[in-house]
Amino acid sequence: MKYLYVYPEKCTGCRECSIACSLTKFGECNPKKAAINIIRDEFNRYEFPIVCFQCEDPVCLKFCHQNAYKIEDGVVIRDEDKCIGCRLCAVICPYNAVTTIDDEIIKCDLCGGDPMCVKYCSTDAILYLDETEELEKRRKEMAERFLEINKK
Amino acid sequence: MFNRRLGIIDLSKKKTFIKQTPDSLKKLFLGGRGLNSYYLYKMIKPGIDPLSPDNVLIFGTGFLTGTLVPNSSRFNVSAKSPETGILGDSNCGGYFAAELRYAGFDRLIILGKAKKPTYLYVTDGTIEIKDANDYWGMDTTEVQQTLRKDLGQVEAAVCGVAGENLVRFACVRTGVKNAAGRCGLGAVMGSKHLKAVVARGKQGIEITHPEMMLETVEQLKEYIMNSKVSSILGTVGTPFLYEVSNTLGAIRTKNSQLNAWSESLNADVVETFVDKMIGCSSCIIHCRHRNKLGGEGPEYTALGLLGANLGIEDTAHVIELNNMCNELGLDISSSGTILGWAFELYERGIIDKKITGEELHFGDFELVKRLLYKISRREDFGDILAESTRNVKRFGKASEDYLIAVKGLPQSDPHDVRYIKAFALGIATSSRGADHLRSRPTLEIFLRLPQEVRDRIYGKGVPGDPTSYKGKEKTVYFSDNIFAAIDSLGICKFICHGFNSPHFVDYTWMKKLIHCTSGWQFKEKDIQEIGKRVIDIERMFNNREGVSRKDDTLPKRYFDDPMPLKIAKGHHIDRKEFDSLLTRYYKLRGWDNDGQVKQERIKELEALT
Repeated sequence: MKYLYVYPEKCTGCRECSIACSLTKFGECNPKKAAINIIRDEFNRYEFPIVCFQCEDPVCLKFCHQNAYKIEDGVVIRDEDKCIGCRLCAVICPYNAVTTIDDEIIKCDLCGGDPMCVKYCSTDAILYLDETEELEKRRKEMAERFLEINKK
Repeated sequence: MFNRRLGIIDLSKKKTFIKQTPDSLKKLFLGGRGLNSYYLYKMIKPGIDPLSPDNVLIFGTGFLTGTLVPNSSRFNVSAKSPETGILGDSNCGGYFAAELRYAGFDRLIILGKAKKPTYLYVTDGTIEIKDANDYWGMDTTEVQQTLRKDLGQVEAAVCGVAGENLVRFACVRTGVKNAAGRCGLGAVMGSKHLKAVVARGKQGIEITHPEMMLETVEQLKEYIMNSKVSSILGTVGTPFLYEVSNTLGAIRTKNSQLNAWSESLNADVVETFVDKMIGCSSCIIHCRHRNKLGGEGPEYTALGLLGANLGIEDTAHVIELNNMCNELGLDISSSGTILGWAFELYERGIIDKKITGEELHFGDFELVKRLLYKISRREDFGDILAESTRNVKRFGKASEDYLIAVKGLPQSDPHDVRYIKAFALGIATSSRGADHLRSRPTLEIFLRLPQEVRDRIYGKGVPGDPTSYKGKEKTVYFSDNIFAAIDSLGICKFICHGFNSPHFVDYTWMKKLIHCTSGWQFKEKDIQEIGKRVIDIERMFNNREGVSRKDDTLPKRYFDDPMPLKIAKGHHIDRKEFDSLLTRYYKLRGWDNDGQVKQERIKELEALT
């Protein structure tokens, strides 16, 4: 199974990933309307890509009262027909990985196996790789790092 | 794409108007620098005082700014320059311009003067004029961080204390170091009591052909990333240019008394101070160094002008001065040039302690620090230095011979242009004074560039020898035009054809990018015409302010003093050769022999709407 792995030390903050995501999904260039977001603060000196970790036991799925979420081949998918747009998933996701903007709820679906964010990143700060034990460790570390940054 | 608005803000009347820029004008000038220059020509009356409420200050984003197009982060700040009294215009990266577009606006035109400190808050299609009393007096980082504390994740373009105090070379800053540095536009903000323009928005930019844009950008990205120049810029940034110029003997040193300086400012040394390389919005080059001393930079310009030009060798000292200029909101190019000038004048006895209040000499880090601070506060001798090149009047006629400036603008490029003749013509004719980012044909440095590549870019008849005057009007003409187009698109020059590379975004790429974004069908020639139109309207602005052939000249030293060191030794600019080069350049431009845009062309451009 392939997943997205982020390398914040290589992220330059440029947001080509987010813009490519919004252009693919909505036909517009808008880094705020994307399944991947870059948390960046040049004054506090960090850039951090935020993308769905495709959790094994995702809270979005667990708490969705419409059962709009399911796991398909290891990917957490939101069924737009079942979703009533309550945004609970976005509120409770500890990694802020579900984006809401205007009337949209945006959740990474790995672009069906050809993630655009990876294609348009110019520094390999986000990679789509077969999972290994080491990479899994990294994924967990990144999740913890994000929680730390989020507290700031 | 076309839902972006034009905001007109009258600070005197506290009124805002929201309009639309007609598509017809966008087709003629695209956006960014092009449209800004069009509006400046239309809206500014000749002869006004740049620091009076009559000046018009424009923040304009490029046609492609904020899109997926690589390096489309840029905007131009434009007004009549308080440093030069002619066209003032400065191009800037960062995240502010993209945010302004996401907030629903292409361009803000600011008129009048607020009674008290003010900032503009632009968000999702609206503009508010707000009280900035609490922010007045803050350094550039502090004000941006405070604005974020008060308003959330905003992007801001601000002036520093230098701008508030009307220092004639105060910059406009966004983020840690991105600056619309040149021409003193921070002082224009200060004169209007405008501390900041703040943007926040979530409106996307609609793209006419999304799939085509994804495809085109994928190809362009691969093309650019495979180039060696991209990887060098992405690893060490512009400091690599320092060594290139220094090896040649073309680093302005101690106010151009010398032309070579210490290897301690080479890129490999600078690199040891770098924490991480970062980028502007949509950037795939990422040339910004987050330094270990708390700021960003230094760029090549800072290494040259705050280092070599002031006789400072210690890399950490240069970085500290760089960070300091950014915090105070001073233009690094003018700061380093004006201080170097004052130091030489003092050493020669042209000015003395009665004016300076203390001894001046090269190589004194503490002295430079003190003076930069005093300039920003307009204290003591700092108050005098803050007047920039206008000090020729105060220091006396003899001082002019040592001033490294053209049309009142201190030279930005740390490159001593006595060796490469095309660079000399470029800074002599640039529409804002001695500046390299209008037309620097950097390829002149690439001695091994095959002749057929040169012919393809510039046309036939340009020899590879950089010291030859022959055909060099063509290299400047080409560069001037294409840089004006790229500035109007909002794309960074680092991926512009002919700037650092014989490849990259040329008119064919521009044509494709414009088409997938807007659906508009341009031919290569049409985009070149846009560039020419921008150059002509800028020249019309300057002609109207009195600029003519007599002003398209160089610092006296470049004509009369041969370079003393290294490969460039013995080279200088020959007055006669330069004069005929200038004549050839005017001819190519279609200007008359006095450097005036012809009546017919003026009529044509004035009729455009």
